[in-house]
Amino acid sequence: MNLKYDISPEVKQKLNLRGEERIYYSIPYDVSDEGKWISDGMLIVTTLRVVLVRAGEVEKSYDLKDIVKTRAEVTVGGGMLIARMGEKEQYITRYSAKHRTRYAYIARGMNILSRGRSEEVESKEKEKICPTCHRALSESGKCPHCDKQGGFFKNFMKMIEPYWERILWINVLMLLAAGVTLANPHLQRILVDDVLKKADGDIRMGILCLFGMFVLGAGIVVINVAKSYYCTRLGARIAKDIRERLFDHLQKLPLQFVNDRRPGELMNRVVNDTGHIREFMQDTFCNMFTVAFIFVAVVLYMLYLNWKMALLSFLFVPVGVWMTMAFRKSIHRRFHLQYLKEDDVSSNLQDVLSGMRVVKSYGKEEREKDRFNELSDEYARVAWNNERFWALFNPAVHLTLGSGVFLVLLYGGSKVINEEMTAGMLMQFMTYTTMLYQYVQWMTNMPRQITNLIASMERINDVMNQEEYGHGEEADEKIEIVGKVEFQHASFGYKSYEPVLEDINLTVKPGEMIGIVGPSGAGKSTLINLLMGLYEIDDGALLIDGVPIEKLEREHFHQQIGVVLQETFLFSGTILNNIRFAKPDATYEEVVEAAKLANAHEFISKMADGYNTYVGEKGFTLSGGERQRIAIARAILTQPKLLILDEATASLDTESEFMIQQALERLISGRTTFAIAHRLSTLKNADRLIVIDDHKIAEAGTHEELVEQKGLYYRLVKAQLEMQASKGA
Amino acid sequence: MRKNDNITNEYQETVDQMIRTERIDKSNAKFEKTEGGFLKLSFKGKEYPRVKVVRLFPFTEPDRYLSVRDPGNKDREIGLIENLHDLDAATEEEIKKQLNLYYFTPVITKVINIKSEYGYAYFHVMTDCGECRFTINMGSNAVVRLSDTRLLITDLDDNRFEIRDVLALTQKEQRKLDLFL
Repeated sequence: MNLKYDISPEVKQKLNLRGEERIYYSIPYDVSDEGKWISDGMLIVTTLRVVLVRAGEVEKSYDLKDIVKTRAEVTVGGGMLIARMGEKEQYITRYSAKHRTRYAYIARGMNILSRGRSEEVESKEKEKICPTCHRALSESGKCPHCDKQGGFFKNFMKMIEPYWERILWINVLMLLAAGVTLANPHLQRILVDDVLKKADGDIRMGILCLFGMFVLGAGIVVINVAKSYYCTRLGARIAKDIRERLFDHLQKLPLQFVNDRRPGELMNRVVNDTGHIREFMQDTFCNMFTVAFIFVAVVLYMLYLNWKMALLSFLFVPVGVWMTMAFRKSIHRRFHLQYLKEDDVSSNLQDVLSGMRVVKSYGKEEREKDRFNELSDEYARVAWNNERFWALFNPAVHLTLGSGVFLVLLYGGSKVINEEMTAGMLMQFMTYTTMLYQYVQWMTNMPRQITNLIASMERINDVMNQEEYGHGEEADEKIEIVGKVEFQHASFGYKSYEPVLEDINLTVKPGEMIGIVGPSGAGKSTLINLLMGLYEIDDGALLIDGVPIEKLEREHFHQQIGVVLQETFLFSGTILNNIRFAKPDATYEEVVEAAKLANAHEFISKMADGYNTYVGEKGFTLSGGERQRIAIARAILTQPKLLILDEATASLDTESEFMIQQALERLISGRTTFAIAHRLSTLKNADRLIVIDDHKIAEAGTHEELVEQKGLYYRLVKAQLEMQASKGA
Repeated sequence: MRKNDNITNEYQETVDQMIRTERIDKSNAKFEKTEGGFLKLSFKGKEYPRVKVVRLFPFTEPDRYLSVRDPGNKDREIGLIENLHDLDAATEEEIKKQLNLYYFTPVITKVINIKSEYGYAYFHVMTDCGECRFTINMGSNAVVRLSDTRLLITDLDDNRFEIRDVLALTQKEQRKLDLFL
């Protein structure tokens, strides 16, 4: 991301740089103090000053030595740069959300400068807009227009290349189909002119013609069936290959990529976009060459037969093309609208059905009914409108194109009467004309088909070009984890302008149990996400046994950690499969042992199907506590070296919690454990506790030390004791 | 445990604060502009060197129910202004300026052009903050319906744009927007 925009020489001159003074950063601000869009604002940071330039004139200037700390505050839809000067907070400038990230870096850079250091901050973040054509860049940072427009054919060719042999056969079939389609009217003409119209028509010749027509007719059916067969197979095959590659790739992408998107959107890419490719291959690609070939051949042949009549029949082609093109936009809009309305109905339905308990318990069925009826009516109205439009439009186009045939008939008919042309030839001509119109209509569809294909391929490539996470060449270290974990000046934020963890320093000895406490939203779960290697830290380092986590071979690393999360997710399948998830080859003994440790064996045994009990999509047949216990069994099955418990026992009743705590204690001994808990009693065995507050480690030490300190932890302990006391009283 | 433990009292106080609503009006509060461009407040004998003003119902009641908060103390609420117009004119003006500083949601008044390409839609519009161009990703929830006729559009950069009343746009503009409605 650019932090140094160009400054014109005039502005540079007006800055009046003093002696050693050097320009560090220059970035635009796009909103005026009054909140209007502007395009001529620029913020310049030098070694000594911050200068605001507007329309080429220096507006304001602040000395860096007066500034204690600068920060970029996020506001609704934008942000502002604020400097603390002594006791005073000084507003410097504001900007739209577009520049939030840039200003977060600038604030960091200014803080470095005002502390008297001179290193420059650089942003690794990607720009979102193509600098050449100003189109939005795809996730991979490529411009869909500049990088790929010419490359579509290349991409398409690359996609179909592995299947070239099949495609060759399909092409042969296409040419055959074209030849046969063209030959049929010719036989017709011979039949009419040489047999039927002649007084002494040869019956054998007639039969021969009919037979020929029959053979060609049957031939075209056979060829078309074969062609469709191969095309469908090819389409399905290509789609299948892409789908599999896509899914495989999707799983290797950083979690951030998946989290940033609606699940539906990614599902669309895997299911719908590959579906589009399949459709294109079997419907369009399959006929493309046939149609193109026939089209050219028909045009040439018609011109050869009678160029005047040919031109006459071409006259209506532009009309037909114009009609279809003109209405396509409106058709597309109408049907897209219908699709959106349908979507409204189904999402409302989904909303109400999944919230049925709430609707019923508040007795709001009547109101929900009204709302649904409204949406349903709207949908019906749009659908009805569209059908009516379609019913009118389609015959209208046919009628217009049909009048072209009439014109040909009128002109050709008069020629036939004047004996300038044979009846057979006229018939042949008319068949070709009809054919021509059909293909023209078909071809007007092509641009849209191709645009759809391009869009789908773009979206697929967009995912495919994403860098896989942790699959750099150096991510290949396989270490047997001993359990030493170090955070060194680690910083991380899901969005770069909103840090969640800042400058985390922590060294954990092998086998140590670390309890993590702190208010909700302080960054506890984030810390654990980093530890699990789900996200990459922005700054600093995270070392496992002295090796940076991003250098560890992923699968091998993950096999050695056990995780129980707040929200337990069970896959559709049996309890056995769910426990075995981390280690599919675990023996029955191991599974039972793990379940016993997790205090799950008892309730599982009581179920009719035991460990083979099927748990639904999200394990709905089980209670929260039961699901959590299965998750614990899953985590401990692998005998992990590193155990991560994020509120692992929060949904359990006190008795189960106590028992699992006991069991876990046995398990934890000798393993490095990180445990987040709100109930502090859960952490009484922790060797050390860290309190995370305000994005930082606020306190760290043993229970006694922290109580001694009388800080945040002390307050938490007191509050919980109080709560119990007052409940008891 | 002794009941008058100071931490307990502190929590009690916090709870009280959490539940209580302080009303800020012209009789008990004095807002003043600071040198740095923000607002300071003296309220019930306390001085706040800088306060933030937050809209509780930004879409439906932009000038009512404004929460005044203290950035020096974890953004805790100091009090509530029930209606901006109840304050004296000068204060009202200052608070409006602060709100304007903290809220940037241009309202689209005219749709000049919308072009969609490669899964993105390019908007060229007139807003109450001036003419502007922005881009949305059509695959994400970029357009949210606040009501049947009111839209909130979020662009690639997380800028937000509002259309107050779709029906107030011309037929032609509405047709351009149709795909997103």
